[in-house]
Amino acid sequence: MIELKNVRAGYGTPDSFVAAVDDVSLTVNDNEILGIAGESGCGKSTLMRTLYGDFSGGLKMAGGQVTGRFTDPDSGRTTTSEANRFQDLWWDVMSYVPQGSMSVLNPIMKIEKQIVDALPKREKKGSKAELRQRIVEFLAGFGLPETVLDSYPHQLSGGMRQRVLVAIAAFVRPRLILADEPTTALDVVVQKRILLMLVEIQRRLKNTLVLVSHDLGVHYQITDRIAIAYAGKIVEVGPTAEVFESPRNPYTEALIGALPRVGQKGERVGLEGRPPSLASPPEGCRFAARCPEAQAICRKVSPPLADKAPNHASACHFR
Amino acid sequence: MRLLGQIATRLISYVLVIAFGLTVVFFVPRFAPNDPVEAMLAQVSSQGAYMDAAQADALRASLTDAFGLKGSMLTQYWNFIKRIVLTGDFGPSLAMYPTPVSQLIAQALPWTFGLLLSSTLIAWVLGNFVGLWAGWRPNRASSRIMEGLAIIVYPIPYYILALVLSILFSYIWPIFPLTASVHGAPWSFAFIRSVIWNSFLPALSIVLVVFGWWVISVKAQTTQLAEEEFVRYSRLKGLGDGRILTRYILPNAILPQITFLALQIGLMFNGAIVTEILFEYPGLGHLIYTAVIQGDYNLLMGTISLSIVAVATATMIIDLTYPLLDPRIRAR
Ligand SMILES: Nc1ncnc2c1ncn2[C@@H]1O[C@H](COP(=O)(O)OP(=O)(O)OP(=O)(O)O)[C@@H](O)[C@H]1O
Ligand code: SF4
Ligand SMILES: [Mg+2]
Repeated sequence: MIELKNVRAGYGTPDSFVAAVDDVSLTVNDNEILGIAGESGCGKSTLMRTLYGDFSGGLKMAGGQVTGRFTDPDSGRTTTSEANRFQDLWWDVMSYVPQGSMSVLNPIMKIEKQIVDALPKREKKGSKAELRQRIVEFLAGFGLPETVLDSYPHQLSGGMRQRVLVAIAAFVRPRLILADEPTTALDVVVQKRILLMLVEIQRRLKNTLVLVSHDLGVHYQITDRIAIAYAGKIVEVGPTAEVFESPRNPYTEALIGALPRVGQKGERVGLEGRPPSLASPPEGCRFAARCPEAQAICRKVSPPLADKAPNHASACHFR
Repeated sequence: MRLLGQIATRLISYVLVIAFGLTVVFFVPRFAPNDPVEAMLAQVSSQGAYMDAAQADALRASLTDAFGLKGSMLTQYWNFIKRIVLTGDFGPSLAMYPTPVSQLIAQALPWTFGLLLSSTLIAWVLGNFVGLWAGWRPNRASSRIMEGLAIIVYPIPYYILALVLSILFSYIWPIFPLTASVHGAPWSFAFIRSVIWNSFLPALSIVLVVFGWWVISVKAQTTQLAEEEFVRYSRLKGLGDGRILTRYILPNAILPQITFLALQIGLMFNGAIVTEILFEYPGLGHLIYTAVIQGDYNLLMGTISLSIVAVATATMIIDLTYPLLDPRIRAR
């Protein structure tokens, strides 16, 4: 579906470039839920914007290739495009749930209008009343009442706004939904409901969902594959169950090891220190300063992301 | 509920502003050193009319009555307020005796109203359009030129601009008339054309200055809004520039401007007065000028009172409209 090859993307001028996505190669498949996890500031949102082809607000691609190949389920026709041309596919072939919900909606436009105004033609068929009815039913799946449609953003709670954003993106019925922390402001019960809704939609449309969350529990619940990001790099990719069961990369292991588990006694092993600065990343493995297994070579040579098992890659010299 | 409270507060402040304004209008001429009645009598006798003492006394009495100068200060004040509020009657004009002041004002009002309304509207539409464009594409040559023009024109006082325009286009290149003269049957095509012809330069001098102001403020708004999350999101939704500008940026940029419009109305009114005097445009401003030059107290009090009421009312209406337009305030 989308293939990233040695992609380098970030902010700033060529002299002082902050590569928030640094030499990343990753394949996003048709009909899957791909999760992206990692600490705050490791470049998850930047990666998502690169996948969406949203090069605005200072984000630039400095190298590599992002190629999309999208197949229309009805006609079977395939569109191939590069990231800098993805714009033509927005809110038709692909849609986006931006991170945060505070000021993402137009403050003086009713929600209904903000759902309808960008819909592709294929979703607009039928009368206005029919369309509204379909939206009402769709929103009900997210636990949102009809009154939401006639509300302005400030009349909704943060959680409702976040659900509205997810619903707006999903109602498009695109081939690819990119959701950046879509459940962060929600309580556990609502979060679960939204996640199940997203899974249900993905299974029905057989499209692709890329989900960013710093919450590993979310990934464990719904993703098929998971990519772990660290300081602008992808350090591990593989089937979610396998990654949780037997993580390859020491960083992934540390992340999972830090998770609280029911019934387990004793202190959780936290991760000491902080990730390196993206403005001047260290030579060699970026995790070396915090890695319990680091050797001399780790500080000199950057480990490539390589398959360690079928469909399961890790960027580490030893495992 | 809070909204109702705000409306009530606004209405009370409206009444207070007008009451204060009218009080000033009432007292200031009365503390002036010259007596309008004696001035008028002197004027009559200087024109060669002979009056004996009894005739002069009779005239004095009727003039004192016509000027509302009978009785104690308090009675006069009370009668003044009562007359204005109940009948809108300011007595006869002195300079154009005995035409009632209210009739003179009624004749002048449509001119001023037309001038202000049309120039405000034109300046507003153009200013928003250009400001929006300059804020959205700040690096285009067209944006820079327009913004430069706005910055140059904006600080120029109305009367200077009006003077320059009138010298340029009525004197050096006599394209437009130096003084207003309207012809044609009322509301015929020729009439309307001559009105537009006569209003062109006065309107232009107001339009240019107000336009500059709108461009600068709308541009600032637009630049700020273009960075907002919701505008970025509208772009991610695949909406085109046109849609984003008209549906997302423009309404959000205009809303705060409505408050500024309320503030501007008073300024524009002043500007219109000066402009009218310069172009001898037959509006309220010109009437005020005549009243001052000829020492026509009733006319002066009438025109100024009306100006106070008009500006206060316009400002209040705009203020009260704002919550209707902004859902964020309406909901409170
Ligand atoms: N618009 C921007 N201009 C300059 N630098 C930016 C910009 N956006 C992000 N960055 C930088 O890029 C790096 C990665 O940011 P990004 O938003 O992709 O992280 P993230 O993984 O999404 O973090 P979070 O979990 O907090 O959302 C950070 O160091 C950040 O400072
Ligand atoms: S390469 Fe070295 S430092 Fe990096 S994760 Fe592997 S062992 Fe740790
Ligand atoms: Mg982020």
